[in-house]
Amino acid sequence: MRTLGVAVAVALLGLAGLAAEKFIVGSDIAWPPFEWVSAKGNYLGFDLDVMRMIAVLEGYEIEIQDIAFDSIIPAVIAGKIDIGASGFTITAERAQVVDFSSPYWVSDQTVLVRADSGLNIITALLPGRKVGAQRGTTGAFWVEDNLIAQGVAVQLILYETYPEAIMDLLAGRIDAVIQDQAPSEQAVRQYPGKLLIAGIIKTYEEFGFLVAKGDPKGILPRIERGMKKLRETGAWDNLVAAYFGNPLDVIEAAWEACIPILTVERDPIRYAACLAAKVQELSQK
Amino acid sequence: MSLEHWLKVWASLPVLLQGLSVNLALLGGLLSLGFFLGLVFAVLEVYGPKPLRLCAALYSWVFRSIPEILLLLLMWFGPAQFGVRIAPFTAAVLALGLRSSAYQAQIFRGALQAVPAGQMLAARALGLSKFQAVRHVLLPQALRLSLAGWGNEFAVVLKDTTLAYAVGVVEVMRQARYLGSREMPLTLPAYITVALLFLVLTYAGLFALGALEKRLRIPGLEARR
Repeated sequence: MRTLGVAVAVALLGLAGLAAEKFIVGSDIAWPPFEWVSAKGNYLGFDLDVMRMIAVLEGYEIEIQDIAFDSIIPAVIAGKIDIGASGFTITAERAQVVDFSSPYWVSDQTVLVRADSGLNIITALLPGRKVGAQRGTTGAFWVEDNLIAQGVAVQLILYETYPEAIMDLLAGRIDAVIQDQAPSEQAVRQYPGKLLIAGIIKTYEEFGFLVAKGDPKGILPRIERGMKKLRETGAWDNLVAAYFGNPLDVIEAAWEACIPILTVERDPIRYAACLAAKVQELSQK
Repeated sequence: MSLEHWLKVWASLPVLLQGLSVNLALLGGLLSLGFFLGLVFAVLEVYGPKPLRLCAALYSWVFRSIPEILLLLLMWFGPAQFGVRIAPFTAAVLALGLRSSAYQAQIFRGALQAVPAGQMLAARALGLSKFQAVRHVLLPQALRLSLAGWGNEFAVVLKDTTLAYAVGVVEVMRQARYLGSREMPLTLPAYITVALLFLVLTYAGLFALGALEKRLRIPGLEARR
């Protein structure tokens, strides 16, 4: 009798396992505030929370996997992961090999310099200057397409991760770093008085989530529906208010306080409201 | 690199140690796989019939030729082409383990060949089969001889485990990068801390292997002065 019970339980578990679809989300979790690892070792950030919230709304499971940025698209193509969520700018080249969701964020590039360098956005990008960027990012592509290909012979230095570019900038080995606006603002906040945003390059880049070409698993319509629900309920605005323009430790504390609402109570709308309120409360202290 | 930053890295030491435990698990997996396959291929290369000898030599050649990082990426991306999803950890153990087995095979081959040929003749004269002679007479001596070379391989692959972050294994190097990307001034202190951890680990491992070597030494035999 007992063995029968165990067998039934195992069968039910198996069915439950089949019923809950699971998609693997790949992200380079080293790019606050879009994705980073908290002091306590949790994966958080705007992209990851949007993914988690949509998964709850649309009734599927996700597993977040940390992968180097320039490996994410190859991994999606190879079928190693199902969704790429890592602040990907929608570009024509990328759209040839993967499918994008509709844009969820608009970003410009910024030029970061040392505060004592006296460089401005023009002088920082003169021929001969050493300009750093993360490999495979649109910041690096912008330098290639709009400077080097146009005959402005800056020296482009590529880095595996963004912080390494910042380290080299601070060490004086390069003159400027080209990077999206939100992470640049984070960097300036972390090195008070040492770094400066010399200028903003209006590239109006649109970020999208990406899946394999042709969307064989039918994920994109569900992401679109999820984003629509988040926008209609105000959860989207709350998430933006929480994640952008605030110190990371404040966001982390708020996230830890609120995340059970999403993971246990499975209520994305109330979670976003909690996060925004908590961030505001903590940053006023 | 102020004191404040060092204190923060110190506070994150448990996270780094947790990452290091992943490196140790990788090391255990890849060394075991490498040891087993390495032994098999070494014996085949020295005592096997000619076709198998060639196969073993070919194996060693292939896995010692391909850059490790490439081997890792191939192992991670490759099987997915056939619909097989290998977890990052498994892919890393396989790639690093197969590579290590090729090097270990050469270590064991050298040691087997260093055992005087008379040993084999004597064993066969006593009525042991070729397999029995290898198993009971030659391998025990060869393994003892191979310890120094094996210690070298250990020190190399211990550090190679940090490459696994390229396929998404969250090991100590990745944890150090997490610290740096969350708070950039922590980057250098975190890297230095990881370097110190590896200094300690390598010392401990080599010390243990040295002690083993001493323990297995047979007084009067192979004395070199």
